[in-house]
Amino acid sequence: MFDDRSPIYRQIADRIKADVLSGALKADEQVMSTNQYASYYRINPATAAKAFQQLVEEQVLYKKRGIGMFVSAQARDMLRAQGRETFFGEVVDPMVAEALAIGIPLADVIRRIEQHENNGGV
Amino acid sequence: MKIFRHLTTSLLLFCAMVAAGAFAFALVVTFVVSAFRSVEISAWNVVTSQIARWFLFAIGVYVIHNLLPIAVAHGRTRREFLLAASGFTVVLALGMALLGWLGFLVEGGIYSLMDWNVDAHGSPVAYFLMFLAWCAVGMFCAAAFDRFGAVGVFSVPIGLVLVVTTTVAIPGSGTLPFIRDIPALFGSSWHLVSVVAFVAALAGTWAIARDMPVRLRTM
Amino acid sequence: MRIDVQGLTVRYGDVTAIDDMSFSLSGNKIYGLLGRNGSGKTSLMSALAGYRKPSGSVQLDGLPVFENAAAMRQVCLVRHTADAADKGDKVSHVLEYGAAWRDTWDNDYALELIDLFGIGMGTKAGELSLGQRSALGVVIGLASRSPLTMLDEAHLGMDTPTRYAFYDALLHDFMEHPRTIIISTHLIEELASLLEEVLIIDSGRLVLQEEADVLRSRGTEVTGNAADVDEFTAGLTVLGEKSLGRTKAAMVYGALDDEQLVRARQLGLELGPTALQDLFVHLTDPVGGKR
Repeated sequence: MFDDRSPIYRQIADRIKADVLSGALKADEQVMSTNQYASYYRINPATAAKAFQQLVEEQVLYKKRGIGMFVSAQARDMLRAQGRETFFGEVVDPMVAEALAIGIPLADVIRRIEQHENNGGV
Repeated sequence: MKIFRHLTTSLLLFCAMVAAGAFAFALVVTFVVSAFRSVEISAWNVVTSQIARWFLFAIGVYVIHNLLPIAVAHGRTRREFLLAASGFTVVLALGMALLGWLGFLVEGGIYSLMDWNVDAHGSPVAYFLMFLAWCAVGMFCAAAFDRFGAVGVFSVPIGLVLVVTTTVAIPGSGTLPFIRDIPALFGSSWHLVSVVAFVAALAGTWAIARDMPVRLRTM
Repeated sequence: MRIDVQGLTVRYGDVTAIDDMSFSLSGNKIYGLLGRNGSGKTSLMSALAGYRKPSGSVQLDGLPVFENAAAMRQVCLVRHTADAADKGDKVSHVLEYGAAWRDTWDNDYALELIDLFGIGMGTKAGELSLGQRSALGVVIGLASRSPLTMLDEAHLGMDTPTRYAFYDALLHDFMEHPRTIIISTHLIEELASLLEEVLIIDSGRLVLQEEADVLRSRGTEVTGNAADVDEFTAGLTVLGEKSLGRTKAAMVYGALDDEQLVRARQLGLELGPTALQDLFVHLTDPVGGKR
């Protein structure tokens, strides 16, 4: 479920962020409690709490005292903006490098991307 | 108090059941024997003066060897357990002596009914003190073996010395080696010797088991 | 429950099982006690549980544990069932000890767990399979609800579904009744995500004590050209190395700073994470020699 090679709290935080980005978690929607998360993924509750703590600090989640954690209104836009900043560096550049390494002309890559655009997205 | 209550409720009942079974068995044997020859000795006295002390000894061993580690594993200190076990020894010896006495009463009735010959037996106090000392010596030997391994064998002669005089006041429990005339010397002062033997065995147990390591057992 | 161990030494004759060990646990966490066979895990736990008189000091919430009724009440150490019962005792009898001798015992919960693990109440403890005996140990450990509960190799002989049932029960009960739980194990991979803090011991000494998640980010596997790897790892704590042709992989322990990350990129080295299990193996490897 989790790989044992990087801090689990970071993996959980990343997973929740991905859910916010994809729209699976909507603004002002309540997320699972620390304990629910811990039992569901069979992890230490302190680890889950640490992930939530980090997401609160990053303003992806906010806490309602005595009720639980909720997705903040600006979370999705914020994550999208952050994603855009790192997209080229983290996704496109390595892809280009990979394409060159295995001998795919960049023109082919561009053509493929254009196909996606013509099909209206995916 | 919790340990004492648990020991008395669980073990006392068990010992009483064993005593009842032994009584029934002795009675059956007596009747079988009576078919072949005349009954001249009290079967129940054989049980109480010979077998019962070894049973009490075994209970003493069980209490230290088996129950003490379980008590520690359940968050009890050795001191708490030894205190409870000491009290339990007294209650158990008392209970068994009473059962022995009750047995003699019933057996006496049956013997006179059958016109059998009843021989002498000791006073309840004598049995009580004998049981007391034997149970404590069982605890003492078990503690010594558990703590010191094979070296614990040195507790055996000590234990023998402690129990040797407890049978003096009980007819049919065997005579002392070498010094057969001595029993007549002190009369009922022998009881005091048994009390001293009990206290000594208990003190020995306490000294050995007080900070005895509990080894992790594997099954 | 806070635990303070100071200069603890445990000897059996000539063998030193625990060698002048000191550490403190702040408590109310699930701790993993990791160590190879014979590293001293069981000896350490016995001393914590007051099973033996410590040389050095072992304190629970500031109270010495040995022969201290107030501290002893709070402790439960279970290694299968063996300490808490006799072979000849029926399971129902085993539970009676808990009910009779422990103030904190929750008998309803014990029965619930007995049911969960499918242990027969009428079976004698000595006749249970190893896995079931371990499960019975877990029942005693969890139902005792002791502020300090120690489970020594509690999963021994359990099959996989039973182990997962155990992990779930442990986690659930820990969240309902937070307390200090110490689990010793070699099944690190499986248990790792349950642990908040990890203590690794080897040859009777404490190798490290660290938050599990921090530990996970501590190890880095550096892979690349052998000469470059050697240059990069010079002066770093290298736990282990392996080579394949001219390629070399080294396991480095400790966080890398930005300067080092830049240098690694310049050298064309690949930096990857390491598993807790690998870290453990290398930290306790007697032939590694590069501690």
